[in-house]
Amino acid sequence: MCGLCGLLGLTHWTETHAHKDAFTGAGQRTLRAERAHRTKIVNTILQPVRAKVSDFQATSYLLSTPTGKTAVVDDIQAVWGAYEQVMGRNLDPLDPEYLLQLERSV
Amino acid sequence: MIPVNVITGFLGSGKTTLLREVLRKPEFSDTAVIVNEFGEVGLDHILLEEVEEGVLLLESGCICCTIRSDLRDTIRDLQARAASGAIPKFSRLVVETTGLADPAPIASTLAADPIIRNHFRIGNIICTLDGMSGLATLANHPEAEKQLAIADRILLTKADIADGSQIDRLRIHARSINPVAQLALSDGQWFDAGLLIEEDLNDPETRAQEIQRWFKPDHDHHDHHDHSHHGHHDHSHDKVDGLNSFVVDYDTPIDWTVFGVWLTALLHSHGDRILRVKGILNVRESETPVVLHGVQHVMHPPLHLDKWPGEDRGSHVIFITRGISEQAIRHSLEVFLSAAARATGEAGQVQAVV
Repeated sequence: MCGLCGLLGLTHWTETHAHKDAFTGAGQRTLRAERAHRTKIVNTILQPVRAKVSDFQATSYLLSTPTGKTAVVDDIQAVWGAYEQVMGRNLDPLDPEYLLQLERSV
Repeated sequence: MIPVNVITGFLGSGKTTLLREVLRKPEFSDTAVIVNEFGEVGLDHILLEEVEEGVLLLESGCICCTIRSDLRDTIRDLQARAASGAIPKFSRLVVETTGLADPAPIASTLAADPIIRNHFRIGNIICTLDGMSGLATLANHPEAEKQLAIADRILLTKADIADGSQIDRLRIHARSINPVAQLALSDGQWFDAGLLIEEDLNDPETRAQEIQRWFKPDHDHHDHHDHSHHGHHDHSHDKVDGLNSFVVDYDTPIDWTVFGVWLTALLHSHGDRILRVKGILNVRESETPVVLHGVQHVMHPPLHLDKWPGEDRGSHVIFITRGISEQAIRHSLEVFLSAAARATGEAGQVQAVV
C-alpha cells in the first residue's frame, strides 16, 4: 500500500469496537487489550487448522502456520485471504468437518 | 459524502422512465447521472455521463468483486470536474445499469477506491420490476432475480396497466426473494421518490424507521394488501440452489468481535453466494445497537445507533443467499460464538432463538 492510499484509507470495520466511544477514555478497554481479545478469538477459530495470529506492533497481525509460513495482514478480514494464500486452501466456516473440529478443540 | 443510488432492473422494466421522472423533480435538480447506455427514453440533463463497459479483476477478489474501471474513472472524473468548477456541484449521483447488469460490483467499486470512498457513499439500490411481465422475467432470467435480491427498494412499474391480481402475485413473489426491500408501485409518473431515493440508513431522521422496516411486513405506499407475517419475517425459504432469505435471531448480547470474525470468514469463502446481509445487533459492552448491512463481499461500515429503534432488544440479522441454507448459517455462527465463549471464559451466554 502506498503512503497516499494509507492516508486516505479507512479503518476496516472489524477493527472497530462494539462501543462507539471505546478507546476514547470512555470505553472499557484499551486498544492493546482489544487487539489481544481479537487475536485470542481468531486463534480459537484457527485452532482446528493449527494456524495462529499475533498482534504486530498494534498496527498489523502476523499469521503463522505450523510449517513456519508467515504473512502480515492489516486487519482481521485479511486473515482469511492470507491463510488461503500461504496454506493453499480455504478455511470454510460452513464446512461441517471444520465446525466439528472447532467444537472439539476448545 | 455524496450518496450514490443505483437503479437496476431487467430490460424494459422502466429504469430510464424512473430516472427521467426523478430528474424532473426540483429536489433532485442537482443530481449527476451515469448511464451505461442511452436507451429509447429520452433524458435531458446537464450532468449526463455515458459509461463504456469495462471490467477490471481485483487481484485477490472473486468475480463478484470486480471493480468496474470505467465506472471508477467516470466517478473520479465527475468529482474532479465538480471540484474545479468545470461542471456544477452535485449532491447526489445516480447510476443506471444496463438491464442485464449485476449491480453488486458497483458497491464494491465505491468501497474499493480510496478517493471515491472518501467522497461518496452507497445509497439505496433501486430495482424496477415490470408489473406486467415481471413474473416471467424472474422465472427465466437469473440476472433479474439477482438484481431483485440485492435491492433496497423494489418499484413495481406499469401499475396503471397491470391488473391488481398481477401486481399481487408479483408482490408476493418479489417479497419471497427479497423480504427486506421496500416495495412501491409506479404508474410511470407517480411514485414516492423520497422513499425510493432519499430515505436510507444514512439519514438520521429516517434511520430508525428504515431499520424497523427490515423486520416488519411491507408497508406499501399505494394499497394495503397485507401478505404479512406476524412479528418478524416468516420468510425462510430453504432451497438448495435457489435464493433463500431468513432471519437469524439472538436474544442475548453478542460479542461484536466474534461476530466480525465469523462474518468476515463467511464472506471470504461464500461472499459470492451471500447476496445481502442486513441486521441490528445487541452487542456486549454497548447499551445501544450496531447496525450492519452489506452487499456480497462488501460490508458497509457498521453504524452505532444512539438509541434502539423500538422496544425489541434482540439481535436480528437477515441473510439473502443463493444456495446456502439457514441451518448452515445458524449452525456455523453458533459454533463460532460458543467456541469463542468457552475460550474466553464466557461460556453459556449464547443461544440462538429458534
